[in-house]
Amino acid sequence: MAATFFGEVVKAPCRAGTEDQEEEEEGRRETAEDREVRRQLARKREVRLFRRQTKTSLEVSLLEKYPCSKFIIAIGNNAVAFLSSFVMNSGAWEEVGCAKLWNEWCRTTDTTHLSPAKSFCMFYHLKSNPSVVLCQCNCYVAEDQQYQWLEKVFGSCPKKNMQVMILTCRHVTDYKTSESTSSLHSPFLKALKTQNFKEPPCCPLLEQPNIVHDLPAAVLSYCQVWKIPAVLYLCYTDVMKLDLITVEAFRPILSSRSLKGLVKNIPQSTEILKKLMTTNEIQSNIYT
Amino acid sequence: MASRYDRAITVFSPDGHLFQVEYAQEAVKKGSTAVGIRGTDIVVLGVEKKSVAKLQDERTVRKICALDDHVCMAFAGLTADARVVINRARVECQSHKLTVEDPVTVEYITRFIATLKQRYTQSNGRRPFGISALIVGFDDDGIPRLYQTDPSGTYHAWKANAIGRSAKTVREFLEKNYTEDAIANDNEAIKLAIRALLEVVQSGGKNIELAIIRRNQPLKMFSAKEIELQVTEIEKEKEEAEKKKSKKTT
Repeated sequence: MAATFFGEVVKAPCRAGTEDQEEEEEGRRETAEDREVRRQLARKREVRLFRRQTKTSLEVSLLEKYPCSKFIIAIGNNAVAFLSSFVMNSGAWEEVGCAKLWNEWCRTTDTTHLSPAKSFCMFYHLKSNPSVVLCQCNCYVAEDQQYQWLEKVFGSCPKKNMQVMILTCRHVTDYKTSESTSSLHSPFLKALKTQNFKEPPCCPLLEQPNIVHDLPAAVLSYCQVWKIPAVLYLCYTDVMKLDLITVEAFRPILSSRSLKGLVKNIPQSTEILKKLMTTNEIQSNIYT
Repeated sequence: MASRYDRAITVFSPDGHLFQVEYAQEAVKKGSTAVGIRGTDIVVLGVEKKSVAKLQDERTVRKICALDDHVCMAFAGLTADARVVINRARVECQSHKLTVEDPVTVEYITRFIATLKQRYTQSNGRRPFGISALIVGFDDDGIPRLYQTDPSGTYHAWKANAIGRSAKTVREFLEKNYTEDAIANDNEAIKLAIRALLEVVQSGGKNIELAIIRRNQPLKMFSAKEIELQVTEIEKEKEEAEKKKSKKTT
């Protein structure tokens, strides 16, 4: 309350926002309909983890159910193609689960019939050595879903005796450097690792001020917080769609310890990769 | 920063960039590789063939086009933009012949194409052409020429150059291997072009298209068989070179 020059008492606007706030918020208060819409949206965007064959959801996190010593995650179509042709062709891999999610980046609004390639994260383990788990993630995991994804996959108390390797791509225009961009030899590989990862990486480390985004960043941060040794291999490329040269840029990783023993038959891998390229090639006539 | 200066073609950024022109150069990198080599008595154009859909007529997907009897060009980038530029260049070639009764020089038609491209970097409401071109041919004086143009409207003469995806890799290969011996005769120049393309073309000879112009002769497109023959020869030579190397080390 304040008094003016003429002696009238007026209500002074209160910047602390105590009594008046309730009256103002009446107009902005959520209706039941708003709440329902919000609930439905949250349900639609929930990350669900289940066994694809039985379609039952996993009660515990994936790595609690299938503890592993090596966890390799490929995020993006080029990284997935690399793992499919070089790692998954040598050895029998069994599907152990998949993460199903929907967000605005998905091309379909139907959440029940999402195609596996587009909106699932598939998890496999090596039959001969079940402590090696592989994840192929071709879909985009939105910011609000990343935490859910991490919880459903790693759990709330992950084991520290595993090693994580993440492979992903980014467009070279996101790469910040003081050199001229025309001198950049893309595609090229950069690495970022957690403090507990002691091995030397297979390529130069990512320099400042470059940062990692989206799910790869979420996984790496999670590993850093929980002191899990993890390394991220980021391929900067000028072709974001499935491209042979970009996939081949991941080759230096084949010499790393994490992939030792998992990679055999490299000539056969090249053949599988070529087949993948031809089947996935979208016939676009825009560029010649 | 870039987003404020890349909306309109006519706007320079504070540090002097024309972002639309630079973005057009990115569009060029989306096209498949083309390589041009200037030999002593021959000019060679080699391109990576784009894979054609099953029901598509292969003859309508061409990266190498004749502009006149003695000039031809290969492009990389937006197909539709290339079609427009090629049509204008072809008309200009004939118009020049009718007006001055002489065929165009390679430099003249290159300058025409480059001027056309530059005009589109300076008017508002129009975007630049998203293509780079390699223009080859022989002038009346019998000298072979190779020029390259890019979306900004610049053009330069080259001894050998590459455009499109992986152009940098091919250019580096050419810098190492373009020697007087390598272009000593026509066959060697052709082999050099194919070897340069094989650095980046994954499926070998099947995905290569080749065209040559010899002095006083029209454009010749190589058939798939002829290219395959050359590729086999190159592979043989490679094997022999490797055998020699391993003998030397032992």
